Amino acid sequence: MTDKSSEEQLLEFLYACPVGLIECNLAGDIALMNPHAMQHLLPLAGPRDAGNLFIALEQHAPELRSIVEDYAPATGKICDGHRIFVDLGQGRRAQAPKVLACTLVKLGADRLMVTLADISQQVVQEVRLRQADTWFATLLDGVNEYAALAITPDGRIASANACFTKQTGHDCAAVTGHNLADVLEADTSGGDLQLDEQLEIAARDGWHLQEGWQQRAEGGRYWCQRLVVARSDGDGPSLTGFSVVLRDVPRREAAAEDMRRLLTIDHLTGASNRRHFSQNLEREQAHWRELRHALSLIVLDLDHFKAVNDTHGHPVGDVLLRRVAEVCIALLPPRGIFARLGGEEFGVLLPRFDHDQAIGLADDMRKAIAAMQLETPRGPLKVTASLGCATLDEAGGSIDALIALADKRLYAAKREGRNRVYRSAARAA
Amino acid sequence: MSTPASFEAVSLNDLESMRDEDRDALPFGVVGFGADTIVQTYNATEARMSGLDPATVMGVPFFDAVAQCMNNFMVAQRFDDEPEIDDIVPYVLTLRMRPTRVRLRLIAQAEMPRRYILIER
Repeated sequence: MTDKSSEEQLLEFLYACPVGLIECNLAGDIALMNPHAMQHLLPLAGPRDAGNLFIALEQHAPELRSIVEDYAPATGKICDGHRIFVDLGQGRRAQAPKVLACTLVKLGADRLMVTLADISQQVVQEVRLRQADTWFATLLDGVNEYAALAITPDGRIASANACFTKQTGHDCAAVTGHNLADVLEADTSGGDLQLDEQLEIAARDGWHLQEGWQQRAEGGRYWCQRLVVARSDGDGPSLTGFSVVLRDVPRREAAAEDMRRLLTIDHLTGASNRRHFSQNLEREQAHWRELRHALSLIVLDLDHFKAVNDTHGHPVGDVLLRRVAEVCIALLPPRGIFARLGGEEFGVLLPRFDHDQAIGLADDMRKAIAAMQLETPRGPLKVTASLGCATLDEAGGSIDALIALADKRLYAAKREGRNRVYRSAARAA
Repeated sequence: MSTPASFEAVSLNDLESMRDEDRDALPFGVVGFGADTIVQTYNATEARMSGLDPATVMGVPFFDAVAQCMNNFMVAQRFDDEPEIDDIVPYVLTLRMRPTRVRLRLIAQAEMPRRYILIER
């Protein structure tokens, strides 16, 4: 045995620790950190300063700074396992972390202890469990709650049970022979799959389950789980029809709704967070691949925002970000997603929007932002934004390429003088 | 040794043929490891910067036990992906748990079993 000093032993321990440990001040300046912390922080920092926690994470967790600022007690745990989603548009190695959990503890007036841990595997498991839960919930709850239908391969109703009448208000005998899609008239304004699209997937995969708004005969709507299962006779693979099960799902519990907000909403602005944005982007990419649904992305960056923060201070900058989110969310179509991607950069995800529709909405957002005026102690403050749009078609179906293309156009709009939506010469002509 | 080898110019062959005392006398850190990332060479300069005893570093998997901060696509992954590397990259290490700006030189040659990372503060 070598006679190691206790300092050496301590260093060895910290070098090998498989969790990131950081000590910094309230401004984020890092005094001490172990190698595991740097393993995560440096790639996320990109060209920014990896010696400051908030600056290094500005792109992926801009909310951290305000979470710390909003914490009033002199000491205590500020957040526990706060999730940072880092998988967006970087084209990294497959086993690179996708989700980090960050715990912040305030130790004194200007001292924070921070841990960073890679919880990607845990999150993957949670998603699997959630899917299994939905599936079991549909199977195990009272069988009487189900509207069950048999439909032919071309979508016509062969039979429906009495519960179908109770749930939807349509007479189960009268609808026989009709096309189920016509009877249901689901809310198709957004990203939900239409019935024929669900049948297409079920024919290929065996089954498909989705949740969405469903209309009753008298016009009211309810939240409905719709399960489509392909049927075939005994041995042959040939499709003989589908079973469709509809379930009226009770309104979500308030606690679950709080949890959903917590997990999907950006702390500061009320816009969606990166995680929600990234999950929906993947979902829509699957729809694009399988069903050729159009998908557009707008990226929006406020012009000269740093000057606002420098001149008026962070609190005014924060109010401005909130206002921008408000006016843009008001313009969103159903199922559109407005998310904060980083500092003053926002993304708008638009299922079933083509390029021209996206440009139209981008210009409405630009005008709405330019029309805003914020009263501050230093007088009225106005701001403008630059925007770039791209479609998943143009990007050949790649999320990385979609984001890169929209970003490129955003920066072209900046170069052309800001307060504008980029339009390519070819398209304008 | 005639002239001390420089951070930029020293070759993989120079490092391989150097005596331990000469490698220890270099003004920059030298870490040599195999394809399995097990540390085979850890010079005295690097030991001074990291605060670790070379005896405890030799034989451990470098990117897991000592240099987790390089265990990402910027460094460790490159040794997996690129059989031939000779590149200098600016980096931030956590020597003695303090963020420290350094330059790393990554060296690998397809026919040589040992790869090297040189560390200049």
